[in-house]
Formats: sequence, C-alpha cells, structure tokens
Amino acid sequence: MNDEDFRRLCEFLYRRSGMVFTEAKRYFVERRLAERMRATGATSFASYFARLRSDQPGEVEPFINAFTVNETYFFREEHQLQCLSTDLLAARLRERPAGGPLRIWSVPCSTGEEPYSIAIWLLEHWPQVDAYEIEIVGSDIDTRALEAARAGLFGRRALMRLPEALIGKYFEPVDDEHWRLIADLRQSIHFSTVNLVDLAQTRAHGRFDVIFCRNVLIYFDEASRRMAAENLYENLLPGGFICLGHSESMSRISPLFEVRRFADAIIYQRPGERGDG
Amino acid sequence: MAEAGRARILVVDDAGLVRLYYRQALEAAGFVVDEALNGVEALEKLLQAPADLVIVDVNMPLMDGISFLRALRRQPLPLAALPALVTSTEAGAGDVAAARAAGANLYLVKPLEPATLVLHARLLCGVPA
Amino acid sequence: MPLIRAGAGEAAAPAADHAADRAALVAALEGGSAGERLHAARALAVLPGALAPLSAALQMEAEPAVREVIFTALARLACEEAADALLPLLRAEEAGLRNGALAALAAMPARLPARLPALLADPDPDIRLLACELARALPAPEATTLLCAAVERESEPNVCAAALDVLTDLGGPQALPVLERAARRFDATPFLRFAFEVAIGRIRASTAIDP
Repeated sequence: MNDEDFRRLCEFLYRRSGMVFTEAKRYFVERRLAERMRATGATSFASYFARLRSDQPGEVEPFINAFTVNETYFFREEHQLQCLSTDLLAARLRERPAGGPLRIWSVPCSTGEEPYSIAIWLLEHWPQVDAYEIEIVGSDIDTRALEAARAGLFGRRALMRLPEALIGKYFEPVDDEHWRLIADLRQSIHFSTVNLVDLAQTRAHGRFDVIFCRNVLIYFDEASRRMAAENLYENLLPGGFICLGHSESMSRISPLFEVRRFADAIIYQRPGERGDG
Repeated sequence: MAEAGRARILVVDDAGLVRLYYRQALEAAGFVVDEALNGVEALEKLLQAPADLVIVDVNMPLMDGISFLRALRRQPLPLAALPALVTSTEAGAGDVAAARAAGANLYLVKPLEPATLVLHARLLCGVPA
Repeated sequence: MPLIRAGAGEAAAPAADHAADRAALVAALEGGSAGERLHAARALAVLPGALAPLSAALQMEAEPAVREVIFTALARLACEEAADALLPLLRAEEAGLRNGALAALAAMPARLPARLPALLADPDPDIRLLACELARALPAPEATTLLCAAVERESEPNVCAAALDVLTDLGGPQALPVLERAARRFDATPFLRFAFEVAIGRIRASTAIDP
C-alpha cells in the first residue's frame, strides 16, 4: 500500500464510520488491510478496494470489524454505566411522568454480559435503586446467544473487569474456569429476539428510558442504518437516551437524536415532545 | 503548554479535498485544525473539545450547515457563542439570509484563496496578523 | 431485588397500526402533532399507495425529524415515482430539504444512471454540484465515466471541485487524461490547482499497483 492508497482507505473508513487513522497508525492499518486481503484472496489494493466500496460480498462488516475490538465482557465501557447512574436516570426521573418502571434496553445483548452488567452496576452504584422499579430487557437477533444469556454461565475472560467482591456476591463458581450468575439476577432480566430493522418486532418491545445499542449500527448498510435508527427513535420515550459503542458516531447513522455531553460520556437523546409540533 | 495561545479551528465540510486544503492553509498559518464531515460530527467534536472558530459548509449529509448553526446556537454558553464562518458554493440570497438568521458571523463564497481564509480566520479568532 | 422482569412491551407498547386505516394515517400525517406525524409517516410507508401522501406531506412538513422519516420511506420505496418526487427538492431554497432529498436519492442507486446525465448537464450549477455527489453512490467505473464527462465540459470551479472530490476517492485510470487536460483550464484558481493535483496523484498511485 503506497501513501495515496493509505489516504484513500482512511478517507473511506472516515466517511463510512467516523474512525480517524493518521500516518502514526499506518502500521496498524496495513496489518488489518493485509488480513482482509488474505481472507478475500485479493491480489492488489485496487481490487480489494473495489470489493470494499461495492460491499461485495458484504466486505464492509468484516473490514470495519478488523478495526474495532469486539469483545464482550462485564463492565465493558464502564464510563457509560457511570453516566447512566450519575446523570441519565436522574434526567429521566425529572422529565418522565410519574409511575411505571424505568425501562432499559440492551440491544443487541449477545450472550448477556451487557444487560447483567447494567443490573449489577445499578444495584451497586445507583443510590435510588430501591426506590424505583427497573425493568431491563436484553434482545438479540441470535437465538443461540440468547440461550447462553439466559443460562448465565460465564468464563474467566468475561469476568476479568469485575471486582472480586462482586463476583462473590452475584456469581456461584461452577468449576475453576466458570461461574454462574445467581438465580435472582438471571430471572430479573427479560430476554427476547429482535431484528432491529423490523418495525413490527421493535415496536412490540415498547418504549424505553435508556437504550444501549453498541457496535451494531456501524455495520449496517445505509438503508438498514436509517431504518434501525428510526425504529430505535420510536423505542425511546421523548427525552430518552441512546448509548452507542465507543468507536461509533451518530454522525454516520442518523440526525434524529440530539448530541448530549455528560461528565463521563457523549450520549444521544430523543428530543422532548413539543405539543404543537 | 507548547500550544498555549494557538487558536483551534474546526473545519466542517463533507468534501475531503476541501478539508485537506483548509487544513494545510490554516496549519501553515499557525492554527490547530480538527475536521468533521457533517453537522452531527461537528457537534460531537465541539462538545468534547472547545474550538475558537468553526468553518462550516452548507450542503452536507445528515445535518446541513444551516441546521448545524441552529443547533450550535441552542447549546449552553460558551459553546453557543462560538464564531462561525460559513463557506458555500451557493451565492444565492436565500442561503446567505438563512445562514445569517441561523447565526453565521460571516459568509464567504467558495472557492477560497488561502490568504482570504487565513485573514478571516484570524479576524474571527481575534489573533493578530 | 428492585429489578423487575416484565414481558417486553407490556409496559408501554404503542397502539398497533394494522387496525388503523390508511385514511386515519393520512389525516394524522397532515394534521397531527410532530410525534403523531412521524408515527403516521412510518406506518403509512408500508401500505400500498403511500407515495402520494408522503410526497405531499414533504412539501408542507417543517419538522426535520418528520421529514427525515419521509425521506427514509421514499428511499425504501426506491421506485421511479419516488425518485421523481425527490428530484425537484434538489432545487429547494432550504438546505435541509436539498440535502435530505440528496441522501434519499443516493440510497436508490438503481434510479440514478437514467437521471444523472441530465442532472450533470443542468443549467443550474448548484444542481450539477449535487449531481456530482450523487455519482458517489454508483459503482466506481460508472461514476468515473460520468464525472469525467462532466469535468471535460464544466466551467464552474465549484462543480469541478465536487467532481474531483468523488474522483479522488474512487476514480480509475481512465480519468487521468481527462483530468490532465482539464487541469489547465482551472490553473488560475488555487483550490482547483490543489484539487487536480491531489486527484491525479491519488488515481495515478492506485493505478501503479493494479495494471
């Protein structure tokens, strides 16, 4: 890859995802590109780039995937959880009508680390946790992932960021390498199947105060991204918040949400309803 | 503190060539430059790192320059008072009026000469020539 | 434990739309609150005969979020009529409408080859400029051919710059002779000199490794 190819590739990545790679990251970019060229059997940058641009056959997802870290583990992106307990729930309680549970949606939830993290975080860090009913829903398109989420069995890697004390409190050891979430916690989360671009399916989930939608919209093509963003907009109560993954930016997804800066994170908000419209 | 006193400019334009051209001209004149592709990204960037000036195009995907200016002026201070230089290919009276009404401090028609860009950037940032 | 488990949707699911008839949705789209108009536009989009009420609403609608969902609906319809309903909006006074229409048209690349040559030859330079951006949605060889033809005859520097921006990102080697010729015509404009230089440099370098 020569200098000009590097710039073409970086401009493509930037336009498509908002991720910025400068000359200083060139080695990193070259490694990822070489991986994808090997995997697709491309013999030149030009032929690979043509394949990437036309997204044939679905090359954009594995390409962007190569530039992001897609591990799931407990308390991943802790700053967003911090923001939830410090700012987002307080803002919701000020704005939402009284009554009804606070509803939080983790979508896609994969094997459950995220919705369970939200539950543990709130139990540990939100002082008002006993004063409100909180309903956490975890949804994914992958039914096998959902089965694993319901089973609540996790390995050492998934727990690496959890303090020892919390593992002792919320998990039961199964063997040297595996722990199972306590039944109380497993039973407190509702898991369901959802395809984010299917309006009937998303509408059936009702409206939420906060949605965690991390590392999925970035991979969708333009049409699916617009559709999914609008579905999620309708899944939020007016004034409700949506959190994206750390390498994602709403600037490549949708203009529907307002950008909000809190102490711990950039979060997006469905604007409040104005009566006259 | 090596960069103390160096004014920071956010260039908001969906054309990569324009961003690159402005960056080179402004960096050569001593400014620190950041870039955004549209109004949403510009708001994300400004909320994370303050700037002394925003240079913004009108036609952009997802959030155009006029909508961006309206959103910018609704932000809390000091962000709402950020000087905004609108550059556009549109010389139509409608766009100039819309940009003014949305809170543009200055409207320049593209294509810009580097000297013109730098001169107005200095004026709007309050940096001596 | 304060966490409760409820069946998803039991709490606040909005009313289902299958019972709502089309006329009620059209009425809501015309006269409801912003939230109702947005909901109605999205519900209408999946019913037959949605194009006429949606494009009519677009002419009247002032709320950016409602416009956005109508643009998405038209982009999903992606029929000839949807494309034709969007084209006049490229001439709109308001930047939000122009750019919304542009994005919706870019999302229906199959409708573009028949329309782009006329748009790239439009007497209004602002339309030619937006047309260059639309070409970005096409496969690289088609986009290169169309944009080279545009650059060859273009006299407006900003339109030429818009074409160069797209060619810099995707142009193939067949663009080089055209760009080298056209560059001379814009030699007096510093930005255009720069734009030609970058575009030619990038295309040439990419060519070198893929003969």
